[in-house]
Amino acid sequence: MIFFTLEHILTHISFSIISIVITIYLMTLLVHEIVGLADSSEKGMLVTFFCITGLLVTRWIFSGHLPLSNLYESFMFLSWSFSIIQMVPYFSNHKNNLSAITAPSAIFTQGFATSGLLTEMHQSTILVPALQSQWLMMHVSMMILSYAALLCGSLLSVALLVITFRKNINIFYKSTNFLIGIGTFSFGEILYVNERINFLQNTSFLLFRNYHRHQLIQQLDRWSYRVISLGFIFLTIGILSGAVWANEAWGSYWSWDPKETWAFITWTIFAIYLHTRTNKNLQGTNSAIVASIGFLIIWVCYFGVNLLGVGLHSYGSFTLTSN
Amino acid sequence: MLITMASMSPSKTQGQTLLLRSPLLHSSNFKTHVFAFLTNNKRSQSASLKIGVVSKLKTITQKEKETPISRKIILSEGKVPTLSEKEEVSTKSQKKTEEIPVMGLLKKMPRKIITALANLPLAIGEMSTIAALMAIGTAIDQGEAPDYYFQMYPEDSPLYGIFSWRWILSLGFDHMFSSPVFLGMLILLAASLMACTYTTQIPLVKVARRWSFLNSAEVIKKQEFTDSLPKASVQDLGVILMGAGYEVFLKGPSLYAFKGLAGRFAPIGVHIAMLLIMVGGTLSASGSFRGSVTVPQGLNFVMGDVLAPNGFISNPTKAFNTEVHVNKFSMDYYDSGEVSQYHTDLSLYDLNGKEVMRKTISVNDPLRYEGITIYQTDWSISALQILKDNEGPFNIAMAPLKLNGGDKKLFGTFLPVGDTDSPNVKGMYVSVFYLLHHFPILAYEPRSMLARDLQSIVLYDLEGKFAGVRRPNSKIPIDIDGIKITIVDAIGSSGLDLKTDPGVPVVYAGFGALMLTTCISYLSHSQIWALQDGTTVIIGGKTNRAKIEFPEEMDRLLDQVPEIVNSSSLQKSFDSL
Repeated sequence: MIFFTLEHILTHISFSIISIVITIYLMTLLVHEIVGLADSSEKGMLVTFFCITGLLVTRWIFSGHLPLSNLYESFMFLSWSFSIIQMVPYFSNHKNNLSAITAPSAIFTQGFATSGLLTEMHQSTILVPALQSQWLMMHVSMMILSYAALLCGSLLSVALLVITFRKNINIFYKSTNFLIGIGTFSFGEILYVNERINFLQNTSFLLFRNYHRHQLIQQLDRWSYRVISLGFIFLTIGILSGAVWANEAWGSYWSWDPKETWAFITWTIFAIYLHTRTNKNLQGTNSAIVASIGFLIIWVCYFGVNLLGVGLHSYGSFTLTSN
Repeated sequence: MLITMASMSPSKTQGQTLLLRSPLLHSSNFKTHVFAFLTNNKRSQSASLKIGVVSKLKTITQKEKETPISRKIILSEGKVPTLSEKEEVSTKSQKKTEEIPVMGLLKKMPRKIITALANLPLAIGEMSTIAALMAIGTAIDQGEAPDYYFQMYPEDSPLYGIFSWRWILSLGFDHMFSSPVFLGMLILLAASLMACTYTTQIPLVKVARRWSFLNSAEVIKKQEFTDSLPKASVQDLGVILMGAGYEVFLKGPSLYAFKGLAGRFAPIGVHIAMLLIMVGGTLSASGSFRGSVTVPQGLNFVMGDVLAPNGFISNPTKAFNTEVHVNKFSMDYYDSGEVSQYHTDLSLYDLNGKEVMRKTISVNDPLRYEGITIYQTDWSISALQILKDNEGPFNIAMAPLKLNGGDKKLFGTFLPVGDTDSPNVKGMYVSVFYLLHHFPILAYEPRSMLARDLQSIVLYDLEGKFAGVRRPNSKIPIDIDGIKITIVDAIGSSGLDLKTDPGVPVVYAGFGALMLTTCISYLSHSQIWALQDGTTVIIGGKTNRAKIEFPEEMDRLLDQVPEIVNSSSLQKSFDSL
C-alpha cells in the first residue's frame, strides 16, 4: 500500500511541477520576464527529474524487475528520458532551447500515462517468461532513450519548418534577451528562448529580425542534427541488442515482427535524415522534412504497433482489456 | 613539447619540426628574418620562405631529394605526409577489408554504373522505397492463403481505387519480406552501399587525412570559426590544444591541429557492417535448418528428423544423428498463479548411446550443441494420469481447446464412464462457451476435465455443472456422480524449436561492427589552423558534425592561452621559433 501512495505522490509532484514550468515559459513569453523565474524553471525540471527517478526506483524495488514491462511504465520511462535529455545540456553549461521541447514532451507523455485511458495498466505486471532476461534492461531502455532523443530532435526540426514557413513571427524585445513564440501545433506550445544578448539593437528592425531568424534556424538545425545523431546511436544499439535477445528467446534474430519492422523503418528514415545532412543542397529544410516524417513514424512504431497488439511484441498492449 | 610533436609527425615533417630546436635557427642571420616577419605581414611570407629554404637544406639529406621541397612548404595543399604510423596501419587494414569484396566486383563494371549507383538521391530513394515496402508488409497480413486475399481485397471494390488482390499476389506482397521486389531493392541498396563507399567515402577520407598548414591570414579568417588572440604565442596554443586531445603540428609561425579523425572513417565502417549483416542474412536464409517439435515428457527424438532444410545450401552435419531425450518438463509459477518460467531437462545421446550433454533449458536459455540450438518455445499437456475408484492409474490423452485470443491455453479431456454403449461416450461432442470473463465452461460434457496449466484441473459432471478443482499430486479424490476420481499427475509436453544457422556469427560480427562504428560516427572531425602574425595569433577552425559544441570548446580553450606581458618573455618565445 505504501508503494502505491508513494507512487501517487511522486507522480503528482512531478506532474504539477512540469505544469508550473510550462506556465513559466508561457509567462515569460506573454508578460515580461520576472527575475528568477527562468532559473526556477530549470530547478523545477531538476526536481521533476528526481521525482520521476524516484517513481521508477520505487516501482523497481516493489515489483522486483526493471519498470519497463508495460506501456504505462514505458511512458514514464520516456518522460524520464526527456528530462534526462534536458539535464545533459544543463550540466554541461550549454545555453539552449532544448527545454522548450523536452518539458512539454515530458508532460504530455506523463499526462497520457496517468490519464484514465490506461488506468488498468498502472499495476506493475508480472514478467512473462520471454521477458525474463538481462537483455530487457539493455534493449528496452535503449529503445526508449532513442525514442526520446529522436522525438526531441525531430520536434526541433518541426519547429524549424514552422519558423521557416511562417511569415509573421512575433518577436518580443527584452532588455537582455528576446523570445520567439511560435504558434501551437500538434504537440502544444513550444517556445524558444534565445538568450543571446543582442548587439544588433541599433540596426534596423528588419535586419535584426532576419539575422536572428537565420541564427535561430541554424541553431535549431544544428541542435536537431546532434540530438538525432545521438538518438540514432541509441536506436541502433537498441535494435541490435533486441535482435541478439530475439536469437536467444525466439530462435531467430530477425523475424519481421511488426514492431521490429517499424523500428527498422524508423531506423531507415533517420538514416535518410543523416544522409541528407551530408549533402549541402539537401540540408536545412529538406532534412527537416525527413525528420518530421520520422516524428510520425516513431509514434507509429512506439504506440501504433502496441495499439494493434499484434506480433511478438504484444506485451503491454491494449488487447487484453479490449477483449 | 617539441619532442612529442616531432614524434607525432614522421617523415618530412619530422625533419621540419626538428628544425625548430636545431642550432641553425639560432643563427643571427635567421633571427633577423624572424623579426622582419614580425614587423611586416608581407615580409612574413618571405620569412617562412627562408624557413623553407633552411628546411630544404635539412631535408635534402633525406630520401625525397627529387621533389622541390620549398614549393611544398609554401603551397601546403601539396602532397602531405601521413600522420602517424598507427593511422597508416589502420587505414591500410580498412582499405583491405573494403577492397577485397568491392574491387573485384566493381572493376568489371563500367565506371558510369558505379557513379550512378553512388548517387545520393538514388540511395535515399532506395531507402525510402524499402521503408515503404516494409510498411506495406506490416499493413497487409502476411502468409495467408490466396483465398484470404480474394476476400480482403476484392477486385470489384479495390482499395484506393486500384489496389486489389491481383496486385498483391502478382507483386508477391503476401510474403513481402521474401518477395522479389523487396529482395531486389535490398540488393540494389547493397550495390549502392558498395559504390558509395568506393567512389565517395574513401576519397573523402583521403582528403581528410591530408593535412595542411594555412599560411595566409585571409584563408584562416574564412573558416567557420575564427578568432584572433593578441599578445599570444602559437606554441602556447599548441600546448593547450594538445591538452584538449588534439594532434598538433607546428611549422614556423603556422599551426595545424585536428581531432576526431576516426569520425571520418566510421561511416565507411557503418557501410561495411551493413554489408556484413546482409551477407549474414543471406547465409541464414540459404543455409539454415529449422524445425519444431512437441515432445511429451519421457520421450525422445532424433534431431535430424525434426530439422528441415531452409535453403539450397543447407548441409546436414554429423550432429544431426544426436538423440534428444526429454527428461522432465516443468513450470514455475508466481504466487498469483501465473506461469513465470518453463523448464525442460534435456539429455543428448550420440549414436553409441552415450550421453554427450545434459542441460535444463528455459525461455531465454537455449541449449547449444555443435551448431544446433534447441529453444524452449511452447508447451502443452499431453496426458492426465488418474485413479478411478482407486484403480489405475490410467493415462488419458488431453487435447488443446482452441481459445481465440489471449496467451492462455486450455486443454480438455473427457473420461468415459459407465456404459460404453451409451451415445454419450461415442459422440465426443465438445462445445465451449466463452463468457465475459473469458472463463470457459465445458457444457454438455460428462465428466470433462479442463486444465489451464499444470497446476489446476477443473472438473465438470455429467450435466456440465462445475464439480470442483483439483491440483495434481494433491491426492484428494473428488466424487462425481458416485465415482471417485483422483488426479495423480498431469504430464506436460515440451514444445521445442531446433535451429542451425551458419549466418549467425557473420551477422553478429556485423552487429558489433555496426554498433561500434555508429558510435564512433558521432565524433566530429575538427581542424584548427593558426598563424602567428606579429604578436597576434590568428585562429581558424572547422568541424563537420559538432557545430554547436565546437565554438564553445574553442572559446574555452582560447581563454586558457596565456597572454604574453613583458618583452623578455616575448623575446624568449620567438627565440624558440
